[in-house]
Amino acid sequence: MKKLMLFVFSIFLLSVIVFYVSRLAPGDPLISYFGDRVEKMSPEERQWAEEKLGLNDPIHVQYVRWLNNALHGDFGISYKYKMDAAEVIRSRLGNTLILGGTGFVLIFVFSLLLGILCAWREDGWMDRVICKLGTIISCIPEFWLALVLILVFALRLSWLPSSGAYSIGKNGDLWDRIVHLILPLSVVVISHLWYYAYMVRNRILEEVRADYVLLARSKGLNKRSVMFRHCLRNAIPSYLSIMAISVPHVLGGTYIVEMVFSYPGIGTLSYESARYKDYNLLMLLCILSGILVILCSMAAQLINERIDPRIRSGDVSADREVNKT
Amino acid sequence: MSGLLEIKNLSVSFFTPEGEVQAVRDVSLSLKEGEVLALVGESGCGKSVLCKSIMKLLPSAAKIKAGNIFADGADITNYRERDMCRLRGKLFSMVFQDPMTSLNPAMSIGAQIGEAVRSHERRISGAALEARVMELIALAGLDRPEAYRKLYPHHLSGGMRQRCVLAVALAGNPRILFADEPTTALDVTIQAQILELFREIQRKLRTATIFVTHDLGVVARAADRVAVMYAGRIVEIGTAEEIFYDPRHPYTQALMRSLPAFSRGRDTLYTIPGMPPALLDPPGGDAFAWRNVNALDVDYEEAPPMFRVTDSHYAATWLLDERAESIRKQISGQGGCGHLDLENSGCQSGKKEAGKNRDVQTADAGKPQEVLLEVQHLSHMYSLGKGRAVRAVEDVSFQIRRGEIFGLVGESGSGKSTVARCIMNIYRPRKGRILYKGIDTCDPRQFRANRKMLQTCRQLIFQDSASSLNQRMKVWDIIAEPMKLGHRKPPRGSFRAEAEFQMHYVGLDPCYLDKYPSELSGGQRQRVAIARALTMEPEFLAADEPIASLDVSIQAQIVNLFKHLQQEHGFTFLFIAHDLAMVEFLCDRVGVMYKGRLVESGTVEEVFSHPGHPYTQALLSAIPIPDPGRERARKPAELREEEFSLEGESVEISPGHFVLRKKG
Amino acid sequence: MMENRLFRVVGIRPLPQRPPERKRKWYSGKPIFSIVFLIVIFTGCMTCEWFMTKDPAYLDLYNCSVPPGREFLFGTDTMGRDIFSMIWYGGRASLFIGIFSTLLSTGIAVCFGAFSGCAPAWLDELLMRFVEIMISVPGLLIIILIQAVLGPASVASISFVIGITGWTSMAKVIRTEVRQIRGNEHVIAARCMGGGFFHILWKHLAPNFLPSIMFMAVMNIRSAIAAESTLSFMGIGLPLEVISWGSMLSLSEKALSARAWWIILIPGVFLTATLLCITELGNCLRRCGIKRENNLS
Repeated sequence: MKKLMLFVFSIFLLSVIVFYVSRLAPGDPLISYFGDRVEKMSPEERQWAEEKLGLNDPIHVQYVRWLNNALHGDFGISYKYKMDAAEVIRSRLGNTLILGGTGFVLIFVFSLLLGILCAWREDGWMDRVICKLGTIISCIPEFWLALVLILVFALRLSWLPSSGAYSIGKNGDLWDRIVHLILPLSVVVISHLWYYAYMVRNRILEEVRADYVLLARSKGLNKRSVMFRHCLRNAIPSYLSIMAISVPHVLGGTYIVEMVFSYPGIGTLSYESARYKDYNLLMLLCILSGILVILCSMAAQLINERIDPRIRSGDVSADREVNKT
Repeated sequence: MSGLLEIKNLSVSFFTPEGEVQAVRDVSLSLKEGEVLALVGESGCGKSVLCKSIMKLLPSAAKIKAGNIFADGADITNYRERDMCRLRGKLFSMVFQDPMTSLNPAMSIGAQIGEAVRSHERRISGAALEARVMELIALAGLDRPEAYRKLYPHHLSGGMRQRCVLAVALAGNPRILFADEPTTALDVTIQAQILELFREIQRKLRTATIFVTHDLGVVARAADRVAVMYAGRIVEIGTAEEIFYDPRHPYTQALMRSLPAFSRGRDTLYTIPGMPPALLDPPGGDAFAWRNVNALDVDYEEAPPMFRVTDSHYAATWLLDERAESIRKQISGQGGCGHLDLENSGCQSGKKEAGKNRDVQTADAGKPQEVLLEVQHLSHMYSLGKGRAVRAVEDVSFQIRRGEIFGLVGESGSGKSTVARCIMNIYRPRKGRILYKGIDTCDPRQFRANRKMLQTCRQLIFQDSASSLNQRMKVWDIIAEPMKLGHRKPPRGSFRAEAEFQMHYVGLDPCYLDKYPSELSGGQRQRVAIARALTMEPEFLAADEPIASLDVSIQAQIVNLFKHLQQEHGFTFLFIAHDLAMVEFLCDRVGVMYKGRLVESGTVEEVFSHPGHPYTQALLSAIPIPDPGRERARKPAELREEEFSLEGESVEISPGHFVLRKKG
Repeated sequence: MMENRLFRVVGIRPLPQRPPERKRKWYSGKPIFSIVFLIVIFTGCMTCEWFMTKDPAYLDLYNCSVPPGREFLFGTDTMGRDIFSMIWYGGRASLFIGIFSTLLSTGIAVCFGAFSGCAPAWLDELLMRFVEIMISVPGLLIIILIQAVLGPASVASISFVIGITGWTSMAKVIRTEVRQIRGNEHVIAARCMGGGFFHILWKHLAPNFLPSIMFMAVMNIRSAIAAESTLSFMGIGLPLEVISWGSMLSLSEKALSARAWWIILIPGVFLTATLLCITELGNCLRRCGIKRENNLS
């Protein structure tokens, strides 16, 4: 219950901050509505436009009005698209979720496998090669990787399309969708994979250095059982909670990819709305991302509490004395 | 091959980037069915490595250079991992030192024991597995096995965890059990229970055991045969009686002599000069020669072979060669008390002299010494949040007179550290007063008024650990820090010169001035801590477990230093420890704490010879005495994890001797 | 037959001199190649005026999008500027942004983290909640808005922006470390001896948590440079007139259609290589810690 209250309060605070900051920053919201015609408008026309859009009232009045509407489900109109802000987002949300969601699942699975592979034989040739490759790949900026892949696969080799989510006219074709997804998905996965795989590898190696591994070996367990039944099982909880926290990070990373590939998703929307002061769209987007972040961190905390038996039983033994050797 | 386990000329080395560390050199042993062999030695002498190398649990940097290991007739020296997995748990198994970290914190006890059972009986059914797990838990001495099965390691105390580790080790009915310092991390009373448990299991299951330890008392209680190791070699091996009553190798003799019980009544503990050698480039010849006052020329030239004393007793020392006959007579004539004779504690003359000294002191004490520190009804609690609180200290009162060493003993959780920290104003106690020279240090106003005096006259020394000295400060900086903080001008010119003087005083070579604490050994770091405390010329020193993590011979050196400071300069000490033998040697008066209360206090002679409180009696009876004859004859008191009553008040049962007792 | 003269008591001899430790090559374990490369890049960027072949800002409109050749070593971009000169000249801006923003974020993180670590529990909780809210506000938004306030972007303003948004994770780490070091006995001893807050901070806390943040600071340089290039690419970083590796890449969309691979590849390779070397340096710093043995293999 307390968590729910905290959650609501954080979202509220977030909305206030975003509202005020976006309006206080200089820039002309009319540009997003009218485009370049703004320069040609006379002062009276500007006055009329501002009144119509409700931009003349003091900020707190505007905020209360917005809040009132929002609680009824009406998030206002996007200036640029001249549609309901919620509609705009809904039409694009699906694409981003497909890209980001699939990317996340792939990253989750492959970084776990890669991390285990590296930790299996620490400092073996496979570990060293993979670590070296991974470090190099993780240093490549995401957008540059996207550009290079487009250059090679789309322009030189013409194997894959270079932009969009689907070819014109083939809206419902699944295979077409998949083909268009391959390049952006690869960029998302490759640029994040090594970060998490390295974390898994280090976590497992930390477990492998624990004392209980010796006891497990002295029981007669072979190396594979010890690795999977003991070390991995102990490393998984922290991996799960880290992955929970990284959901917004991965989704945020798709924005840049969407821009390079002209993929119709929320990324381009956010960028435009912030740049061109499309207030309503901006508010809704920020609120959505804030909700996502807070939900994910709460989920991570929940996972930690459930899985780690020490925290679960609520027992925290007090170490009052200086530890003996 | 007669024995269950035979080791012939085994050598194990670690190949590190700095070079080859020869951890085990040319060791030969044999172990028969049902026998208990103890491996004794200081830390770093290779006893742990020996056990782990038999079970092939060493890291990949370690290799068996030479020698053979025969287990149950088969030569396992070159066995691969796959074959070793089959043997581990079934033929031999191991109990480790630290029960806190030996168990997997995320698996329940039942699951871990069940895994051990299943690794050797693959097809065991669910019900049979459960029955076997409960049988093992009961065997380890834990009643109500069904309850323990579902618990996790962090729910259990140290002793219970060690029992679980033992249950895991016994799951496959091993014929050889390696115990690598299993009781070092435990309290004395728990240690006694665990040793009793080992003996019981060994009797029931006829398991041969190799006990690794550095505590000679434990050896006397637990072992049939003893092997003494030094610098990777076995220097003497024989039955327990032979080793304790007739040690032949100079190192064994020195070990016996450095027991505090041997120096009872004397002024200083016997210490072995020097330090154990680094095994990176071990010196040729007998490694102990560099610390042996009576070393022979040939000891430096060539390593001695094992000489036979009796059929079961062998020692590797040139003194047993027939050419050394005259030397032997010469040495024993000098009165070098080699063996342990606790009844007439060795050198009678020494004792009488010491007795005289003591008399002189007590005569002095006839004039009442000034009370330097008085603790009155001290109580302190820690809050754990969520409304729970832990009573760390409750209603503790005692006095410390000027020039005396007051020992505070107790097991972990008894609150002794908290008392020290309250005295030094690290914590503000909830209730009670602490009067230092009449000033109530718990009263903020009085404390502030006398802050400077209080901060210079009272100093604190901690247990040696990684966190007691700032790893990033140089040694001279550490020692001079109090002077810089106290804004006092260094009387010897510069801070550095001051630090050099203090180092010289505590026996540290001035070449360490510019080194960092990580480059020093444990004993040297502790000396730095003492030098830091002495810089401001305090009157009162509180030492919170200063010797707990040090080697036995280094402990003796530090204790001698304390004694010297007390006698030469009249420092007053509060000495907190859990090693009762050291406390008996060093302290004048002692207080015993149990679960936050002071259950007994009085002079050392009184408390140790006539303990009044049942807890003190249990504590004293739990300490293992390094004398096999007396240990075997002794029946330990029925030691369960029982609660001792804490009701009552302090009753004075004889002058100066207070016991917590119900009145009437 | 051993001579009897060896059997006499000589007592303790002084320890023999240990033979001098085998000299380990001073360069073992250190990423020499990375350090050398970084030094080359750094000096190249600083001294570029001495060896640049052309003026990087000059728009040679006759030679737009020329592939690499004799005259233009790395080719020219779509506006006719020589890429070779731009790389060295633009590296200055990128490196400066990286270092300056890291200095800023480290400074903020140290102050915040140390203060939070030493503060009473309730204040500490509050400050940490604040940090978490800061993390949840979308970074892009903050950058865009601060940009709008500060006016047209320049090297200094971008550094400021990246610095302001990059301190949160380091502050969390510092706060945890400080909390842990405060419980150490040498700090307690110093307090008993009368040490004040600043003495303890300077002598005891700082030297102990600095090594762990060295690694994070180096990684922050790397992410700052990457962030700058991303921002410039998206158009909200440095404008085209200010040359940096990122702004060079912001022309890449046009370059794609012109199939001018050198405009995209060459600055990217330099960027990636520099980031890689900085990462190697950071990893090496982190590895200078205590090692325990691997119990499994």
